[in-house]
Amino acid sequence: MSGEGSGKVRASGSSEPSAPPVHLRPARDADVAALVPLLLRLKRLNEEFDPLLKVREDAEQQARQILKADIGNPKAVVLAAEGVGADRDKVVGFVRAHVRERPFYAPEQEGVILDIYFLPLYRRRGVGEFVLRETSNALKAKGAGIVTAEFPAQNEIAARFYSKRGFRPIIAVQARSL
Amino acid sequence: MARSASPPVEPHRAGRRKPGETETAAERSEDQTDQLGERSVELSRFYAGKIETVPKVPVRSLGDFALWYTPGVAAVSRAIQANPDRAFELTGRWNTIAIVTDGSRVLGLGDIGPEAALPVMEGKALLFKVLGGVDAIPVPIRVRSPDEFIATVEALAPAFGGINLEDIASPKCFGILEKLANRLPIPVWHDDQLGTAAATVAGLLNALALTRRSMPEVRTVLLGAGAANLVTARLLLELGHSPHTLTLVDQKGILHADRDDLDELELRNPWKYRIALATDGGGRTGDLAAAVADADVLLAASTPKPGTVRPEHVRAMAKGPIVFALANPVPEIWPEVAESAGAAIVATGRSDFPNQVNNSLIFPAVFRGVLDARARAIPDEVVLAAAKELARGAALKGLTKHHLLPTMEEPEVFPQIAAAVGDTAVRLGIARRKLSHEEFLERAHALMGRPAQLIRALARARLTPPMPRAAPRKRRRTP
Repeated sequence: MSGEGSGKVRASGSSEPSAPPVHLRPARDADVAALVPLLLRLKRLNEEFDPLLKVREDAEQQARQILKADIGNPKAVVLAAEGVGADRDKVVGFVRAHVRERPFYAPEQEGVILDIYFLPLYRRRGVGEFVLRETSNALKAKGAGIVTAEFPAQNEIAARFYSKRGFRPIIAVQARSL
Repeated sequence: MARSASPPVEPHRAGRRKPGETETAAERSEDQTDQLGERSVELSRFYAGKIETVPKVPVRSLGDFALWYTPGVAAVSRAIQANPDRAFELTGRWNTIAIVTDGSRVLGLGDIGPEAALPVMEGKALLFKVLGGVDAIPVPIRVRSPDEFIATVEALAPAFGGINLEDIASPKCFGILEKLANRLPIPVWHDDQLGTAAATVAGLLNALALTRRSMPEVRTVLLGAGAANLVTARLLLELGHSPHTLTLVDQKGILHADRDDLDELELRNPWKYRIALATDGGGRTGDLAAAVADADVLLAASTPKPGTVRPEHVRAMAKGPIVFALANPVPEIWPEVAESAGAAIVATGRSDFPNQVNNSLIFPAVFRGVLDARARAIPDEVVLAAAKELARGAALKGLTKHHLLPTMEEPEVFPQIAAAVGDTAVRLGIARRKLSHEEFLERAHALMGRPAQLIRALARARLTPPMPRAAPRKRRRTP
């Protein structure tokens, strides 16, 4: 979750000097250790929205495997965000997305943003906007003609963030326990 | 006051207790509370409530009702219909407030419901009248959600010149206050946030002056991140306290921006989340011990339990530290324990120790001021004006380590606070009526003095019966 970005894009020269700049780059294998806790924070946040998103006991192990696999996967985009200054080498956020086939619909390739998480101090001030743009570009470069985002239905902050940027719901996923 | 980081220690009545006697103090306090409770029930039964409405106009004969009621009153209604603000001049709205609660966090009793909250709200109404000359109507309401609470108060607002929110659980109290303050054209106040924070800030301003410290240079720890301390933190930042030396600590330790529960806070308590981001732990992480190291000030407003703050915490602070242990009835650390650990100045929430940080020093005068200015709101500037004036009131009488704040026996400060509040409302452009400082002061004196006259007159005429003797007390313990 990146929160609502409304200011200028910091990476392209923000007018707000206090804004913490973020540097985005493709994630490497060496980033996995730093990315796992961020991914887990996101999943635990999702659990806050809905008990049907209860985080599994082995989520940490899963997170490590999935991140490792995606970092080497040509159909996936994993970008790591670093702070600058004192936080230059600290991974402060990330985004993970997949390119999926759409067998029945056009365009044929869909870029799905699965996870976005930024530490609280690196939210707002245009960070979300910047990350969304960079991710969309990376997905487009991999052939996606449409970009979608998955997040808990109760996450109104995420819903507002995307709808302000031209997104709208196209598929609903409903659930009940069995 | 001599320049000194640690003023000379004068043992006061509490300070004379020997170590090991602190339990006696706790026991005595508990015993006293039980005694007061029994008596309070007796008297509540005898008087059957604490307030009643009394006509303020002559009623010479039933014929006068043609003036006070129909048909005469229709013209008054038409005048208000043409200009709703005239309600402040043609009805009692100018001086009437609602004390609204859902009973979700009453005193230390928790969620006891609206009926059980009523005696507390009646008591508050009595304080409003006696100390502030304000007509306050207790309105405990049964609601199921903050939105329903807000809608109910919005619906009630036309009858009132102000709203005092009372005893609402944190964090929902923040959203309720914020939304009502934005929507209503009258002042809205939540005493557990603003009253306590203003009294705390007033005490702190004087404690800093006494120990020759200045706000931008001090390191401050706030223990407890509930209604009062979150607002205290906000007010301190507004007063120029550096966010880099302001550390909040709650049950999970130092509140900083990387803490695991921040995402949950963003959803459930955005007010606490904002303070976490703004201060980022004052540059620290860890527990209370990590927070207090070299700190100048500790403002504890947490769960009432002695030993929450330990002598070693005070010893680890900077030389001559300021310690406010505000939990009621049992402070986080007993004053004598804090003093023997080196605290230069100690304040509590209790009237039986020196330096009581008491929101009764603030709310009656704040309402007197905003009502006399017919203010539309109570922004933080007004809260800070009240805090500063309260601090000045104590300073005028002479600051000492045991006279940090005026006591309830120094009522001359209240009209001064009311006038400072009125002046600030005028300056901010939120006053419907712009009086001069002298006019505000004169009005406050007159209106705050009237209830005492009324009470005396009613007692003299035996319309208020004298208090019955206390029933012999049942023994709790066999000796």
